[in-house]
Amino acid sequence: MKVPREFYKGPKDIPHEEELSPGAPLCAGCGGLMTLRLMHKVLGENVVIVNAAGCMTLMATYPYSPIRSSWLYTTMGSVAAGAQGIRDALDIRRAKGKLSEQDEMKVLVLAGDGSTYDMGLSATSAAIHRRLDFWYLCYDNEAYGNTGFQMSSASPFASRTTTSPIGQQEPEGTFQEKKDMFELWRAQKPPYMATVSSHEVVDLAEKVKRSMAIKGPKLFLALAVCPTGWGFDPRMGDELAHLAVKTGIWPLKEAVDGVVRHTLIPSRFLPVEEYLRPQLRFRHLFEPAPHTEAMQAIQQKVDRYWEQVRKDEPAASPALNRGTSGT
Amino acid sequence: MRFHGRGGHGIKTASRIVGTAAFLAGYEVQDSPIYGAERRGAPVTAFTRIASSAILERGVITQPDLIICGDETLLESPASGVLNGVEQAAALFINTRNLEAIRAQGKLHVRMVALDITQRTSDRIGKASALSVGLGAAAARLSGLISCEQLGEGVRTELEELGLDAPMIEKNLLLAQEVYAELETVTVEPRKFSATAVIHKMGYDHVLLGTPSILAPGNAEARQTGAWRVERPEIDYDSCTRCGLCFVHCPDGAIALDEQGYPVIDYDHCKGCLICLEQCPRHSIRSKKEVRSW
Ligand SMILES: Cc1ncc(C[n+]2csc(CCOP(=O)(O)OP(=O)(O)O)c2C)c(N)n1
Ligand code: SF4
Ligand code: SF4
Ligand code: SF4
Ligand SMILES: [Mg+2]
Repeated sequence: MKVPREFYKGPKDIPHEEELSPGAPLCAGCGGLMTLRLMHKVLGENVVIVNAAGCMTLMATYPYSPIRSSWLYTTMGSVAAGAQGIRDALDIRRAKGKLSEQDEMKVLVLAGDGSTYDMGLSATSAAIHRRLDFWYLCYDNEAYGNTGFQMSSASPFASRTTTSPIGQQEPEGTFQEKKDMFELWRAQKPPYMATVSSHEVVDLAEKVKRSMAIKGPKLFLALAVCPTGWGFDPRMGDELAHLAVKTGIWPLKEAVDGVVRHTLIPSRFLPVEEYLRPQLRFRHLFEPAPHTEAMQAIQQKVDRYWEQVRKDEPAASPALNRGTSGT
Repeated sequence: MRFHGRGGHGIKTASRIVGTAAFLAGYEVQDSPIYGAERRGAPVTAFTRIASSAILERGVITQPDLIICGDETLLESPASGVLNGVEQAAALFINTRNLEAIRAQGKLHVRMVALDITQRTSDRIGKASALSVGLGAAAARLSGLISCEQLGEGVRTELEELGLDAPMIEKNLLLAQEVYAELETVTVEPRKFSATAVIHKMGYDHVLLGTPSILAPGNAEARQTGAWRVERPEIDYDSCTRCGLCFVHCPDGAIALDEQGYPVIDYDHCKGCLICLEQCPRHSIRSKKEVRSW
């Protein structure tokens, strides 16, 4: 099931202009970069990116930057406050007649999961509360990537990170559940929020475009495939992003004023194994012996999620009823 | 000893393999990597100190006995510092099949040892970029301090730590033995180091010096990330249907569409992730091993 397209019929309709120059020092195959590139294409060139320390910060390492728009670097916890400062400054310039309408800028927060789920949560909550007019892109690579892939509260259950290694006491590695950031944000009923995938480019572009008609906080959560931290061959990056959607692990949805609808539901769900197996961070679930219990727990959580969607969004049910889960 | 390579080559692991092997052989050991704010493909340096008594030195090694260079293209990049202190080094090891060409340039006055680690790695492991074991084995052999068995222990310990599976570790062990057997130990003359402490007085500078601004938007275009490439995607225009998927999915925006809508790869910047190849529905993109990336 796909919601009807409003702006882009297919990938070819996504703007051809590149807003970022090539030559960024990020890993080959970085899903975070891919997501930013697509989002920036739709937002257009007049953007001020406010970035929280993380992998993406490397883009603006002196003296080079692939950013053709503007960029401000902030600490991990204060990125939404930084966005407020920029928005205020732009508004003051507008009011004083120093910034014309055509030079108006959009403020885009670019933050990792460490900033979003952990350190910057309260500043973002405050910005949503103030109805700050901004975009927020969390590229979620599910750990503190830049500093060597330490666990964050976005790290999924049973993934290995450098601070949740596989041990006798913790055979799953990360034993905590991934924080449900979407629901935390949604509790404040922001005017627009969505999850996106770098594989589903049209779904992503449509959502960004839809958000552009809306004033106030517009929040995006992107699963950002990370070959370096997750341990897979970069060429598999897009396929892995696809598998995250096809297994139901990464649901694609949006919420307008807190009301949720799913925007793309696979006609058949693949078993979660297909997504987990190619990644080194989940290798211990398969070798030396299969860790059936953990795998079942992951599958059950996904199944329960979609069970609930079936109840909450009956319109999407036909697609869901056709689906078979992996267990 | 000092190791040089690019992010993703396994340079840090190479230095650790030697360090761990030497430690298991009863030596005092120190190993550490250093890299800048860049990722896979950017120059990386790592250091291993091995001694029979406590090591009190810290920090970078400016006068190495052995230099292990995992990527010959770094020899031409002064910023990567491969040749720092080369004059006093007992040997410079280069991962290359072109030693004669490098010699013929006549620029390097040091004993040079070469072996094509990339080829051997590719043959044994099927991946040309994971050079850690081959380089570690070369360093272990050249040093003359580590037996082949101790090297094997070092390889096993480090690769297990990285979470590699057993068959992969076995392949790497064979690779280590192969490289070890093909090289010979070089003689490292003991050197005396002396240092005098100097107190540097720190002054104050204007605060803006610590908060640099980049005033040339999009100037990263001047950085040729194409040099990172290990594999090179090539488009077969006869079968390409101009669907545009490769263009949309390239993370780096290194593919443009020409006036007729055909994709054109920007080899100055393509990092060789091969996502385009995987996404092409027509299989019109093939990969070739990159020889010289730029
Ligand atoms: C308050 C604070 N603590 C720690 C750091 C060091 N640090 C820099 S980047 C980073 C990782 C950020 O993780 P995430 O937000 O997930 O982004 P990623 O690196 O994964 O892109 C850390 C811990 C910091 N800059 N500020
Ligand atoms: S570590 Fe992951 S998120 Fe960071 S630059 Fe590399 S691929 Fe991107
Ligand atoms: S290999 Fe990667 S960086 Fe190069 S053109 Fe293809 S998708 Fe882009
Ligand atoms: S994805 Fe393949 S068929 Fe489509 S434009 Fe690229 S090379 Fe051509
Ligand atoms: Mg992260």
